[in-house]
Amino acid sequence: MRDHALLHVNGVPCQVRGREAFMMLADWLRKTKGLPGTKIVCAEGDCGACTVLRACETPGVEAGSAPRFDAMNSCIALLAQMDGAHVVTVEGMQAGEELAPAQEAMRRCHGSQCGFCTPGFVMAISGMLEQHGPGPVDARCARNHLTGNLCRCTGSAPIVEAACTVRVSERHAVRPRYATAAALAASRAAQAESMLVEHDGFRFFAPVTLREACTFAAEHPDLRVVGAGTDLGVPVNKGRPMARSMLSLHLIPEVHESRLTRSAVQVGARVPLSQLRHLCDEAVPEFARFLDLFASPQIKNVATLVGNIATGSPIGDTLPFLLVAGGTVHVASRPGGKGPVQRRAIPMTDLYRGYRQLSLQPGEIITHVTFERTAPQQTVRLFKVSQRKDLDISTVSAAYAVTWQGKRGRGPRQIVEARVAYGGVAATPIRLAEVEQALVGAFDAARAEQVAELIARSIQPLSDVRGTAAYRSVLAANLFRQFAGEVLHG
Amino acid sequence: MADAVEQRPGATVVPDPGSEPHDSSRTHVTGRSEYVDDRPMLPGELFCGLVYSPFARARVKSLDLDRALAVPGVICAVTAKDVAHNLWGSIFVDQPLLAEKEVHYAGEVVAVLGAESRDALAKGLAAVQVAWEKLPAIRTIDQAVAAGAFIGSERSIARGDASAALAAAPHRLSGTVVIEGADHFYLESQAAVAYPRHDGPMEVHSSTQHPTETQHVVAEALGVPFADVVCIARRLGGGFGGKESQAAPIAAYAALVARKSGRPARLAISKDEDMIITGKRNPFQIRYQVGFDGEGRLLALQAQLHSDGGAYADLSTAIMERALLHCDNAYFIPNVQVQGRVCRTNHHPHTAFRGFGGPKGVAMIESILEDVARTLGKDALDVRRLNVYAPGRDVTHYGQQVENNCLPELFDALETRCEYRRRRADIERWNVHPANNPRGLSMTAVKFGISFTTRHLNQANALVNVHRDGTVQVSTGAVEMGQGVNARIAAIVAERLGVPTVAVRLMVTSTEKNANTSPTAASSGTDLNGAAAAAACDRIRARLAGLAVQLRDIPGDQWPSRVGGLGTHAELRVGDTAPAEPVTFADGRVTVGGFSLAFAELAREAYFSRISLCDYGHFATPHLGFDKVKGQGRAFLYYTQGVAASEVEVDRFTGEVKVRRVDMLMDMGRPVNHALDVGQVTGAFVQGMGWVTTEHLFYDADGLLVSHSPSTYKIPSVQDTPRVFNAELVFNPGNTVNVRGTKAAGEPPLLLSLSVWTAIRDAVMSVRGRRTGHAELVPMAIPATAERVLRALEPEAFATVEAS
Repeated sequence: MRDHALLHVNGVPCQVRGREAFMMLADWLRKTKGLPGTKIVCAEGDCGACTVLRACETPGVEAGSAPRFDAMNSCIALLAQMDGAHVVTVEGMQAGEELAPAQEAMRRCHGSQCGFCTPGFVMAISGMLEQHGPGPVDARCARNHLTGNLCRCTGSAPIVEAACTVRVSERHAVRPRYATAAALAASRAAQAESMLVEHDGFRFFAPVTLREACTFAAEHPDLRVVGAGTDLGVPVNKGRPMARSMLSLHLIPEVHESRLTRSAVQVGARVPLSQLRHLCDEAVPEFARFLDLFASPQIKNVATLVGNIATGSPIGDTLPFLLVAGGTVHVASRPGGKGPVQRRAIPMTDLYRGYRQLSLQPGEIITHVTFERTAPQQTVRLFKVSQRKDLDISTVSAAYAVTWQGKRGRGPRQIVEARVAYGGVAATPIRLAEVEQALVGAFDAARAEQVAELIARSIQPLSDVRGTAAYRSVLAANLFRQFAGEVLHG
Repeated sequence: MADAVEQRPGATVVPDPGSEPHDSSRTHVTGRSEYVDDRPMLPGELFCGLVYSPFARARVKSLDLDRALAVPGVICAVTAKDVAHNLWGSIFVDQPLLAEKEVHYAGEVVAVLGAESRDALAKGLAAVQVAWEKLPAIRTIDQAVAAGAFIGSERSIARGDASAALAAAPHRLSGTVVIEGADHFYLESQAAVAYPRHDGPMEVHSSTQHPTETQHVVAEALGVPFADVVCIARRLGGGFGGKESQAAPIAAYAALVARKSGRPARLAISKDEDMIITGKRNPFQIRYQVGFDGEGRLLALQAQLHSDGGAYADLSTAIMERALLHCDNAYFIPNVQVQGRVCRTNHHPHTAFRGFGGPKGVAMIESILEDVARTLGKDALDVRRLNVYAPGRDVTHYGQQVENNCLPELFDALETRCEYRRRRADIERWNVHPANNPRGLSMTAVKFGISFTTRHLNQANALVNVHRDGTVQVSTGAVEMGQGVNARIAAIVAERLGVPTVAVRLMVTSTEKNANTSPTAASSGTDLNGAAAAAACDRIRARLAGLAVQLRDIPGDQWPSRVGGLGTHAELRVGDTAPAEPVTFADGRVTVGGFSLAFAELAREAYFSRISLCDYGHFATPHLGFDKVKGQGRAFLYYTQGVAASEVEVDRFTGEVKVRRVDMLMDMGRPVNHALDVGQVTGAFVQGMGWVTTEHLFYDADGLLVSHSPSTYKIPSVQDTPRVFNAELVFNPGNTVNVRGTKAAGEPPLLLSLSVWTAIRDAVMSVRGRRTGHAELVPMAIPATAERVLRALEPEAFATVEAS
């Protein structure tokens, strides 16, 4: 059993144990490693000032090509979670005195004023280069890679210009410099062994088998399973207590798997959303489009679908979709810590009991989730409304999945099955059964308007920082009107 | 004479000649720029944390720090009892550094803890026991007015007889403009580190726009003379006004802990704490009445402005003054009566924020002009063009003449450049179809007065040290916070001394070198400090010129550097005034007649002649004469002017706004660094865009800010930058009153973002008007959030839902 996590920072191996392992990566870089270039602003993954690059190998996969470096937020990542990671900070980007391409572009385009957000933007652009390769980058692509970074000085135009005109330099390519054979071999060797780091009553356990994980879960009722931890770091940074027992599945090969079957998509608990997005490209194109719209690259490069499900927020971005797409959660456990690993499946429609309350038994661990591929006779549409269009928590979100009878012809089309789900209108994301029933049958403008009004009557949302109850009700109805307009006229 | 036409100020756009990057750009992009909290921790240094009120108003029944102090690693706690002079304030000295018996806003600090680690600090803060007794609080402007709770006295500015002119006007409109606050959201939250130098003054490194005030507040808190405190501000990760006054208490807290513990103490508050504790842009409520003729010409304006000042005075009265001074914006109004009053509420003490009240007055008049146009069935641009300051109609309501006025030319040039008429017609056609998301287009202007309205603040000093190799160090009171003040001053100094910009280095801002300085605020950083540096350069130049004239007549082998050490030749003497003969300083050389030598060579000769290569310049802005009591006089040295046209599209289902296109033309005089000015223009615009659209401050029932982080407080992101965003500068060499013909850039462009707000109103009113069949004036609060926009579009739908 390892008593430490192993990570590499700018190519230098670091073993972290004890108290250090429970620090956030950004704090540790700044205060312990003497690397203050990484900045902390919001400490909640919403501003990107703390962006670093990270590459991680998938356990159980034979050593092949070196893993890719992706941008991530270092302010909400517990150091223990960085086990096996190769981290590159802004200080690691230069080659000698020669600026890296993203640095040179930011300078040339006047993309930096006060400079506080600049290292984060440099790293986000560098992450874009690692993903995108040397081809030309258009403004749309650049913006999508920079959605996770905030700048208060420049108005962002010069930064987008920098990202669009950045010139790739072989000398500065991150992968060959930092994912060296020696570094990769060192982390692979470490990853073959389970890890338990402890400090002051806190424990962070990362076993290499699911059986060990289930045993630990059975023995620690106060357990918190830590996925990417994008939702774990925030409350800790904001002063709320950290779970005493944490379990990470990152060394278990099976939870890194994802695949398409003929009718379904299966996603392991540790598959990042950015990877899921590619899997859904053709299987569920609307979900793939939606994955582009919410959250930042920094979050999606590490955050998982299972994490979004387990957090169970009423405004979890993927949840309305999963509710209309037959989402099913698969869990594993070892009751009493004895016997073989037991598994069961829970439909998403039965998962939520109350505000952030899941119908999981103590000791149950979510291993993966499945959901349906979009059928040819089906229309799936997802909506999200927030105060700001991008990288914002929803005021209201909606998912509609309708199955049509026959082809479009003369007269109104017939709906044979409808599923309607909303987020942000109740304590949990919800399906609206009455609305779904009302939709079955001929669908025309008059029916659409009746249903829109029914939706407004069916929900009792709350007022909060993101909008009043009335706004949410009007939005819920209007989003349906928009959907109806699209299917009737578009 | 095509050239003469082309050279009309305000008509010709100048391209970027290839600007130098920001002087810190290299360290910014490599992460090597040091901010306060990047300073390495010293042995024994303490982390500080704040204990503050969660209630808008409460009595502190008890404050028990014993359990906190019992936490291992917690070293000391500071309360009101530890503060020598517990009141501070920039204008009125009314705010306690640490509240004792009663708190007046949620976020008001009552104690500071110092601990050896952040873990210990967190445990210590959790162990602090405060018994609060909630008291009734004033939360709105209306409540404050009803209660008669005000800060300072009422201020007014008047010209002509507004009442009579209103009564006689052919048309009248009245209304209310509601403007909410906004957070500065500088990325670097407030921070300070204090080093208790036992053999010297308390050294405070602060993220402050006002090192002098910070020095003074720290000294008074400690009860020591000003000379016993040095305040140093290397650079700020953004300020925008939020660190003008409000950095001082943060520095004082760190210094109090440092003094009490005898150890270095660091206070770097989190974004959440920063947003909860510090004040915002003042919310305003403006009631107005306006009279106009059938053409749309304004005849009279009466307005009552109320602002929410928060719990303490801070800068709110000066902010109100600037609002009153900008009620005209770019437009001539013959009869004006505007008055303003600052309300005392139980909010964080609101403070300076880019624009400093100006945007509030401008929001009112720009909104009025839209309404006048809609009422008369005219295009708002035509109505603006009719009212804009022009020869014969160019004296403001406070009696200052609008000199160097290029507003009419700016309007005309932008109308053509942005294809206003064609796009207006396109939008008319587009909005006819109910299935289209409505679009709006609006052009607004800015005429921003440059100078502190408080006369004594319009001064600066600078220290210029020329070294023997010809390189130059400049120290001023200006604080670099991204705006490029250092690069601009370097360029001004380089030009004066005829050396390359790379030979000029701006040094850390410190009260040790530059005392009695003004805040880097009011867009004045370069104007004041650049002028002071230029004055210092001129004195050095005069001496060097005198020396150059003498060296011309001396064989090189007898120059002071060759013979000075031996003392064989008489020493060369120069006076403080430049010689009559013209001496030029350019391209690193000094030339007189046919004689020329390198600047560095001349510097060396000066040293060996015992001629000072260093000097100190002081600058006091001339010509100012504004009588605050009468509300009349020359309030500003000059105006920075500009226009912008914004086109928006409103999502008819959700109320979300997309800014499709923005075109801006700014008059920056003769820029010293084109790219830095454009950076200020676009950056300020987008910052203002956030204020008028998505940035929404939301308080809970106890008055505690809930939207205190970027997950709930939404500043514009890269996706919000207008898809088409043309920001250009015009040629205007006519501004001779300011240093080197430049114009201040920091605040004025922010006011142009109001064109986004007026464009949203344009879109909404176009839909409502089409639906109801008559011109409908739809009020819209700032920010025009998606919810407010949808409410304005579909009041019926909201009424139905709210009735059920």
